[in-house]
Amino acid sequence: MATSGNKNINAKLVLLGDVGAGKSSLVLRFVKGQFVEFQESTIGAAFFSQTLAVNDATVKFEIWDTAGQERYHSLAPMYYRGAAAAIIVFDITNQASFERAKKWVQELQSQGNPNMVMALAGNKADLLEARKVAAEEAQTYAQENGLFFMETSAKTATNVNDIFYEIAKRLPRVQPAQNPSGMVLMDRPAERVASASCCS
Amino acid sequence: MHETDIHDLSDDADYAASQQQGSASIMRSDSGRQSSSSEPDGAEVVYSKDNVTIHPSQLASERISGRLKLIKQGSALFMTWIPYKGQGSNARLSEKDKNLYTIRAVPLTEVRSVRRHTPAFGWQYIIVVLSSGLAFPPLYFYNGGVKEFLATIKQHVFIVRSAEDANVFLINDFQNPLQRTLSSLELPRAVSVVSDQSVSIDVGESPLDESQESSSRNVRDGRLSTLQYNGRTRLKPQDPARDLSIHVLEKFSLVTKFARETTSQIFGETHNNGFGAIEKRRYNHQSSIDHPEKASNSAEKAPELVPVAADPLEFDEAALIWGKPRQPPLGPEEWVSFLDSEGRVTDSKALRKRIFYGGVEHILRKEVWAFLLGYHAYDSTYAEREYFSVLKKSEYETIKNQWQSISPEQAKRFTKFRERKGLIDKDVVRTDRSLPFYDGDDNPNVNILRDILLTYSFYNFDLGYCQGMSDLLSPILFVMGNEADSFWCFVSLMERLGPNFNRDQNGMHTQLFAISKLVELLDSPLHNYFKQQECLNYFFCFRWVLIQFKREFEYEKTMRLWEVLWTHYMSEHLHLYICVAILKRYRNKIMGEQMDFDTLLKFINELSGQIELDAVIRDAEALCICAGENGAASIPPGTPPSLPIDNGLLLYSQQDDEVL
Repeated sequence: MATSGNKNINAKLVLLGDVGAGKSSLVLRFVKGQFVEFQESTIGAAFFSQTLAVNDATVKFEIWDTAGQERYHSLAPMYYRGAAAAIIVFDITNQASFERAKKWVQELQSQGNPNMVMALAGNKADLLEARKVAAEEAQTYAQENGLFFMETSAKTATNVNDIFYEIAKRLPRVQPAQNPSGMVLMDRPAERVASASCCS
Repeated sequence: MHETDIHDLSDDADYAASQQQGSASIMRSDSGRQSSSSEPDGAEVVYSKDNVTIHPSQLASERISGRLKLIKQGSALFMTWIPYKGQGSNARLSEKDKNLYTIRAVPLTEVRSVRRHTPAFGWQYIIVVLSSGLAFPPLYFYNGGVKEFLATIKQHVFIVRSAEDANVFLINDFQNPLQRTLSSLELPRAVSVVSDQSVSIDVGESPLDESQESSSRNVRDGRLSTLQYNGRTRLKPQDPARDLSIHVLEKFSLVTKFARETTSQIFGETHNNGFGAIEKRRYNHQSSIDHPEKASNSAEKAPELVPVAADPLEFDEAALIWGKPRQPPLGPEEWVSFLDSEGRVTDSKALRKRIFYGGVEHILRKEVWAFLLGYHAYDSTYAEREYFSVLKKSEYETIKNQWQSISPEQAKRFTKFRERKGLIDKDVVRTDRSLPFYDGDDNPNVNILRDILLTYSFYNFDLGYCQGMSDLLSPILFVMGNEADSFWCFVSLMERLGPNFNRDQNGMHTQLFAISKLVELLDSPLHNYFKQQECLNYFFCFRWVLIQFKREFEYEKTMRLWEVLWTHYMSEHLHLYICVAILKRYRNKIMGEQMDFDTLLKFINELSGQIELDAVIRDAEALCICAGENGAASIPPGTPPSLPIDNGLLLYSQQDDEVL
């Protein structure tokens, strides 16, 4: 849960998605500014933390990066339980990973924290020529299901800080009645405040 | 602990029989009494046994035989062990050595427990542990007589069999059984009871000399100096929890030392080899060790003597005595000596032991791993192995052909195949790609990795492919080179580790549970800490266990560790003790920084590449010996990598992977 005090917010965030969608790559880009072409698979789970300054508040993300294989699905609730936010990641070059993402959204909607801020990340956006999932399709799905959608590239860093920043902005004013949907345009100027204020 | 009831000895048939013999032994010892006229007035020898021997080192020539006696004086019972004069001595054992080990009149009121060991081969021996936590070296009964010894004690003092270990006999144990959760390790009792124990380890010239100063001096300059560091135990009576943890560590050291001495070694080893250095370190850490009696009077010194978080390794290093120093890896010349002229391994146990202590030179791995993994039989000849490999290659090709012959049209209608292949394709391209063996575009070894994994997912269709398998296969292919041999070695490994990948996670849960039991046994304060932090699921060890520390060490070290684990020499479950050993290395940091589950997981993931392998193996060996049967009992039967019981039924009754 997001907990606040003096505008310092701790927020547990979990990354879910299909094998090889780029969950670890996104978090490594966000936390360490790194990208590895052949990022090894995640065994069990990994934990990271990173702090963002958003307007006049500081958000410390406690990030759980999970293993993607369905075989490890039974461990997932341990990680998303109590999470204030989730990024559900799919690979825009892989239709099956988008279908898997939808399943995760359903699970979080039924099992997760009802106030959870959910983001849908269409990763590998640099591989435009191999695209299998249209941005419109994903955006429509996101809108219908109350999440916000961004296409990201851990490789080029496109929208990586932005998706976390957008989550951070939404955290303090999470209200179930509010409609948190709405597409965030991909070509929106990156908010450098995010990386500039990283301090963990 | 499993049970808190005290078992009376009378319910034990073995013991009942021994009682009858016990009375006979008293008669025998009565006759022996005439010969020992040197006993003080009023003393009665109630038990006497010749050829009770200690083994100061592993060399058969370095043995000191003597006579063990129980002497009754008034209402008190004493135990003595006096080495024979001049008999069987050799150049390496001086009279000074003998004096050092002599046990002069230890009152049984100061004995905490007697542990009986009945090895399948060799002599029965006992380890007598004092209530201070100190213990005497194992006493080997060359002529038998352990039962009578225990029976005689029972006639004079209160003795019960430990509820947790049928081979441990607790003496003077009047405490609430609930307080005995650590008694399986024969831990000393509360601090107040521990005080002034030095008399009982008096091995100097003056029997029954109660002067602490004299005893600590005598102990200090001899080999038993490793035992004399309980000065610290008296430092902080106001903090029982801390004292307890120190006791655990001390006890750990103690038993390790004896175990090292008791465990027969292939290689002669001098006492200066490794242990001297540790002792020196200990003395450097603890300036007070030379003056334990002073330290006990100055509690304010305690904080600097017991560093909590300053340096996570320092404290443990000071408190532990390592397992046996590591050997250089097995080389080609020595390897040949394990083979007969036709290539059979003549003594597989000796070979496994050798590898346990040093690993294998890389050049030999291809040959040796096939044995360790169970692909080749130890008693096979060169020719048989060659023939077997040819057969197995053909068998592999048959299985491989099952998926190779799937046409694109067929694959369209075969979702499970496409899914598996997709999963494997995703993983092999990110498995150890930074190694020259797997790096670069279109590396053929990456394709072989994929082919083997896909073939395995057909060979064991029920288990299929699971993330982590590519990590387990990668070093095997790197070592074996050959695709078919790699496949069958991987199959052998998966016979043991397959349950790690079960859909219901039961294989992993069993192992994580066993780690929790072992930590409870071997480091109770750490266990309590994890309990308090709600970390008892031990999920932070998940990666360690699932892929056998593959991500924790650099490649060469992983291979070294694996071959050590695969010997199953100390235990099939050494990997669990490795987990405990690593946790113990960082216990002070973990507890000192009050890590919660998240922080702990992060911390442990970031230990990757930082763990000192040899030290951890030594610690694990020591922990394994220290835990003994209690450790083995903490690990449920069938826990991986134990071979599953082949009941002729399905090995893996897995549900298909469903998409959520």
